[in-house]
Amino acid sequence: MAEMVKLSVNGQEVEVEAGKNLIDAVGAVGIEIPHLCYHPALGADGNCRMCLVGIEDGRPPLVPACKTPAAEGMKVQLDAEHIKKIQHDVMELELINHPTDCPICDQAGECALQDYYQKYDGQESRMTVPQVQKSKKLDFGCGVIHDQERCILCARCVRFTRQITKTGELGIVNRTDDARVTTFPGRPLNNRYALNVVDLCPVGAMTSSDFRFKQRVWFLTRDKGICHGCSKGCNIFIDHHKEKYKDDIIYRYRPFVNEQVNGYFMCDEGRMTYKKENQDRLLVAKANNAESIISSAVDSLKNSISSSNKPVFLVSPNCSLEQMYAIKKLGEAKGATVSGFSDGYILEGDGDDFLIQDDKAANRAGLELLGVDTTKEAFESAMKEADLLVNFNNDLAKSYDAAALDELIGDCKFAMVATTQDALTEKAEIAIPAASYSEYSGSVINTDNILQMFNKAVVKNEPFDDIVNIVSRIGGDVNENSAAWAGMKASVPALKDVEPEQIPEQGLALNS
Amino acid sequence: MSIKVKTIVRYGRSWQERLYLIEVFKGMACTFRHFITNFLDNSKLYVRHYPEVKPEITPRWRGRHRLTTHEDGTIKCVACYMCQTNCPAQCIQIEAGERTDGRTEKVPLKFDIDLLECIYCGYCVEACPMDAIRMDTGIFSVTATNREEMKMTIDQLRSTPGAFSEEEYKKGGA
Repeated sequence: MAEMVKLSVNGQEVEVEAGKNLIDAVGAVGIEIPHLCYHPALGADGNCRMCLVGIEDGRPPLVPACKTPAAEGMKVQLDAEHIKKIQHDVMELELINHPTDCPICDQAGECALQDYYQKYDGQESRMTVPQVQKSKKLDFGCGVIHDQERCILCARCVRFTRQITKTGELGIVNRTDDARVTTFPGRPLNNRYALNVVDLCPVGAMTSSDFRFKQRVWFLTRDKGICHGCSKGCNIFIDHHKEKYKDDIIYRYRPFVNEQVNGYFMCDEGRMTYKKENQDRLLVAKANNAESIISSAVDSLKNSISSSNKPVFLVSPNCSLEQMYAIKKLGEAKGATVSGFSDGYILEGDGDDFLIQDDKAANRAGLELLGVDTTKEAFESAMKEADLLVNFNNDLAKSYDAAALDELIGDCKFAMVATTQDALTEKAEIAIPAASYSEYSGSVINTDNILQMFNKAVVKNEPFDDIVNIVSRIGGDVNENSAAWAGMKASVPALKDVEPEQIPEQGLALNS
Repeated sequence: MSIKVKTIVRYGRSWQERLYLIEVFKGMACTFRHFITNFLDNSKLYVRHYPEVKPEITPRWRGRHRLTTHEDGTIKCVACYMCQTNCPAQCIQIEAGERTDGRTEKVPLKFDIDLLECIYCGYCVEACPMDAIRMDTGIFSVTATNREEMKMTIDQLRSTPGAFSEEEYKKGGA
């Protein structure tokens, strides 16, 4: 527990963490100090002057809150007249050359400048001279579009490329009215975390070309989720919306702060994985190589399993713990070999020391924890004798090319429970569409052995079953997540003391 | 303070009226009197020859919508979704895209108003920051033979002219 100090804000006594700067310390107890350039991940810069606060009997009497550590007995003034005037004047200065093109700005609705204008300014512009014109819609690369007129020169993006990615593509050139954020000629943004500047930008100066004009942000529903792009398991906001007469679709992923896992950021590839949730989904079930309704495909799979002598169940390393456990139990009951072979998910050397991992599967640690065999040898030797392969959403095309896949499957009956429609579902005799990770609740264990729980975010018009339910319909004992947890607590030592309802928001570090 | 009482005369109770036939002939006489006067001279009719004669619409009347254009013919709408956000009937569906005509950056690619759902409240007109949507076409009767036809597309909304001059419309309180 960090050391606590007592200080007063507007005469109100609060207890805050010592050593933190005033914005964070006071923010933790719910008192907001307006700030534009300060960001907890980038540190204090002190250029926007929006966070100036008064310190009663202090010397100096006026300090930037982002650079002032909380100290015992400090008397912070936030609602004094001179502080209000400072906030008002800073806003007026920021807005002198701001184009206020909120109607066409993607940031509108989540813009610090808009919010602070409502809260601290609220007056019409007093300017009579024409505004300074700068470049608009500059392509900065990596899907980042920059509007120099909207920029308030807080330098968050510049500091991000210098401090976090250490690539330093961005800089501020010129001074005063001519100051602008730009790249070096012919050297656009070129790093795998570039889109974070879009989130960092407090105004609409940095926008994402992928999200550009797609939807207004106030329509979006924000639900928390876990990115399944790699084994880091970054915490995300799934921003989705169901338009009238249409289906619920995801518009974007944004990082959600989790100090234990991803901090404040996420990678660009992970951000774009939302597209897989919307597109190329398997929508129609298949039974005996012909389109059918889901229930008959399920029946057909159930019959195939019971008539098979040597079934092999292949689990995806992206499945949730609950799904893996349900499949494993079904395998035990039906005498099947359960394999989690998924070497193709590992891209050797692709990861870095920040967030991106080599392993592009979200829950490989879960496979290991549940004791599911993942070796190639075991899978292939089981396949030699097998007469039925049931693939639970494992993208075998990642591990084998088409010819090798034909050879592997041979004349063995091939069934798939899948989320995406691809060559594999084409090949399968039986295909059952399943819910994808934005559509079910579950838990995954990331590469650092942190167990994280996520909830259902997207509700489709015609929702598909979670793999747990499909497994129970084809004869499994586990019919819901709570049953899977009861079983896992009993059989997996590392999960013995874990209460699924009590897994903290930041995730639970498993010691094993 | 005494309450003002107005006694309503009840007709139909007298002997003559209860005889019924006399009153029928009196009524018919009235009908024929009107018929003959109007037949000889119909300039003093109490009713309008709708639909040949249309009623006079004031500029403030909320009729069918239209999308206005700049003088050079480019659409004023910038697809900010304010009308869609404000619409209580959720009858407006917009899809935005990149603008190429040199004005700002955003343009509606799709702008549908489902007139079967619209309640003609005029909130879209009030919400519009660009004066791009107006209900001044003077069209008050929208008919169609199927549901799809009742959905106005961007081209239909754009090609309908306003029924009033700019001065009249502005005077109407817009």
